[in-house]
Amino acid sequence: MNIGMTTRVALQNLANSKLRTVLAMLGILVGTASVVAMVSSGELATQQALQQFESLGTNLMAVNLYQMEEGSNHSESLTAQQANDIKTANANIELVAPYTSIFSNVVFMGEAVNAGIVGVTASLEKVISINLQEGRFISPLDIDAFFCVIGQNLYNEIKPRILGSVIGKQILLGKDYFTIIGVMQHWPQNSFFNQDVNNSIFVPIKTSTLLSKYAQINSIIMTLEKDADINDVEKSIREYLNVVDAKDKLFFRSAKQLISSMKNQKQILTLFLGLIGSISLLVGGIGVMNIMLVSVVERRREIGIRRAVGARRRDIQKMFLLEAIILALLGGILGVLVGVGTSFIIASFAKWTFTIFLLPPLIGFTVSVLTGVFFGFYPAYQASRLNPIQTLHAE
Amino acid sequence: MSSVIELENLTKDFHLGDNVYHALKGVNLTVEEGELLAVMGSSGAGKSTLMNIIGLLDNPSGGLYKLDGRDVSTLTDDQRSSIRNLKIGFVFQSFFLLPRLTALQNAELPLTYRGTHPKARKERAIKALEKVGMAEFIHRKPMKLSGGQMQRVAIARALTADPSVILADEPTGALDSKIGQDVMDLFKQLNTEDRVTTIIITHDPDVAAQCNRTIHIRDGLVHEETGVNS
Repeated sequence: MNIGMTTRVALQNLANSKLRTVLAMLGILVGTASVVAMVSSGELATQQALQQFESLGTNLMAVNLYQMEEGSNHSESLTAQQANDIKTANANIELVAPYTSIFSNVVFMGEAVNAGIVGVTASLEKVISINLQEGRFISPLDIDAFFCVIGQNLYNEIKPRILGSVIGKQILLGKDYFTIIGVMQHWPQNSFFNQDVNNSIFVPIKTSTLLSKYAQINSIIMTLEKDADINDVEKSIREYLNVVDAKDKLFFRSAKQLISSMKNQKQILTLFLGLIGSISLLVGGIGVMNIMLVSVVERRREIGIRRAVGARRRDIQKMFLLEAIILALLGGILGVLVGVGTSFIIASFAKWTFTIFLLPPLIGFTVSVLTGVFFGFYPAYQASRLNPIQTLHAE
Repeated sequence: MSSVIELENLTKDFHLGDNVYHALKGVNLTVEEGELLAVMGSSGAGKSTLMNIIGLLDNPSGGLYKLDGRDVSTLTDDQRSSIRNLKIGFVFQSFFLLPRLTALQNAELPLTYRGTHPKARKERAIKALEKVGMAEFIHRKPMKLSGGQMQRVAIARALTADPSVILADEPTGALDSKIGQDVMDLFKQLNTEDRVTTIIITHDPDVAAQCNRTIHIRDGLVHEETGVNS
C-alpha cells in the first residue's frame, strides 16, 4: 500500500473517531505549545535583559571599592581627584565617572520629598547616556557649586507645587539650599549604574563630600575603547589604586562579561523551560499511545480483514504508525501556533518586545512528531503482531 | 487439468500447555482447477483449521501443501501474506467488509496491497462488482446494503484479486434461504462461466448438493464422498 493511500486511510480513520482524535491531539498540542511558549518566553526575557546594552553600548565597566573589615585604619574611599585620574591608568579607558550616594532630608517648598542624592561628575552624562529635558547637566566648572539636576519622577512630583519652570528654584538638601539647573528625561534602569536615576538629585561630586562627611567615592563607572582587553584594564586599575593583593576589595563588572554570563544563563533557562515543556509533551505522547492502543483493540476485525486480503505485518504497522504521526503532526502544528500566541501574550503582559523566534517552534514541532513516532510505534507494532486468524474472529 | 491444491498427509497440532491437540491427522486432498468443492463437517472436526492452512493464514505442522504446484508448507508470515494476496480470495459468513469504505473501495482492497496503479485498481474492482451484479451500488457503504448485497461485494473483493482459489466459509450461513440461494447461484455461475475454483465450507447439505464434489471432515481426517453429486 503506498503512502498516499495509507495517508488517506489514516485520515479517514482519524475522522471517524473525532472526539478521540481531538483528545489525543490536545495532549500533543498542549505539550508542544508549552515547549514553544516556554522556550520562546525565555528567549524574549533574555533579549529584554540584553536590550539595556543597546542604548548604553557594550563598552561599560563598573568598578566598586568595598570597605575592609571594621576596625581597619585604612580609608577605603577615593578622593575626587584620584577617581578622575583612574583614566590615566590605562589607555583603553575612555571616560571615567566616579559617583557617590548620600542620604539626607530633601525639602522643596516646605514639603519633604523622597529622593536619593548622588554626587556625580560632568562625564556621567555621556557615560550612561542621560538626556536632559530642561536646563543643563552638572558641568566640569561647577566643581563645588550648590547646583543640582533632578530626575524625571522627582520633577513630576514637585512640578505641581510651583508656577513656571523648576529651573532656578531652590531645593533644600540637608541644611543647604541647592539651585535646580536641569531636569533629566526618563532614564531606563541599568544594572551598571546602581542608582534610581529617575528619583535622584544629582549634585557635583565635590559638593556632595561637603554635604556629608560620610560621602565616600567608592563607585566608578567608565567607558572603554571598543576592543579593550578587559583583564588588562582591570589589572592596571588595581595597580593604579595599589590594591593588587587585596583582590576582594575591588570589584569589576563589565558589560561584555555580563552579556556572556547572561547568555550562559539563557542557555540554562532555555534548557530548564524546555525540560518542563517536554514533560507535558511526554504526557501528550502517552495519551497518543493510549488512544492508539484502544484503536488497535477496536479495529482487530479490520486488521484481520486486511491481513486476509494480503496485508503484510509491516503494512498494518505502517497504517497505525502513520495515524499516530498524523495525530502528532496536527497537534504539533496547532501547538506551535498556540505556543507562539502564548509567548506573545506573556510578552505583552510583561511589556517585552515580541519577536518570533524560529528555533523554538521548529524544535517544538520536530519533537512533537518524534513523540508521535515514538509513542505510536508500540501500538503499531502490537497491531502488526496480532494473529490474523484470531483477529478475524474477534468480536 | 492441473491441480490447484494438493495436500499430502497434512497434520496440524496445537499445543495447549503440556497437552497436544491433533486437529488434523494426515489429510490428503487434491483440488483441481475449476472445481466447486464443498467441505462439510461438524464443528471441532478440523474444518476451520484446514481452511486456515489452505488459506495460508497458518502453516501446517507436518505434511505437504502445494498451491499451484509450489510447496507452501513452510513459509514466513510475509511470504504467506504475499501469496495470500495473489492466490486466495476469502468469502466469510459475516461478509467482513470494512464498514468505512465504499463497496468499490472494499473490492479494491486486495489490489492496494499489490501496488496496482489506482486507475487499474478501480477498473478491475468495477469489473468484479459488475460481475456480481453490484454495478449500481459501487459508492455505497456496507451499512446501506442488504446482507445478500454485502456478500456480493465480498465475493467481488475476492474476484478482484483474480485468485487461484476462492475460499468461502459458510457464505450463506448469515443469509435467509432465498438470498442464500442467490449467492449460491452466483458461485455456480462464476464456476461454470469463468472456471473459478471455489471451496465452500458449509453445514447445509442443500448447499453441498449443488457443488461438484463434497468432502467430509471427521476427527481430523478427510472422507471423500463420491458419486453423490453429479
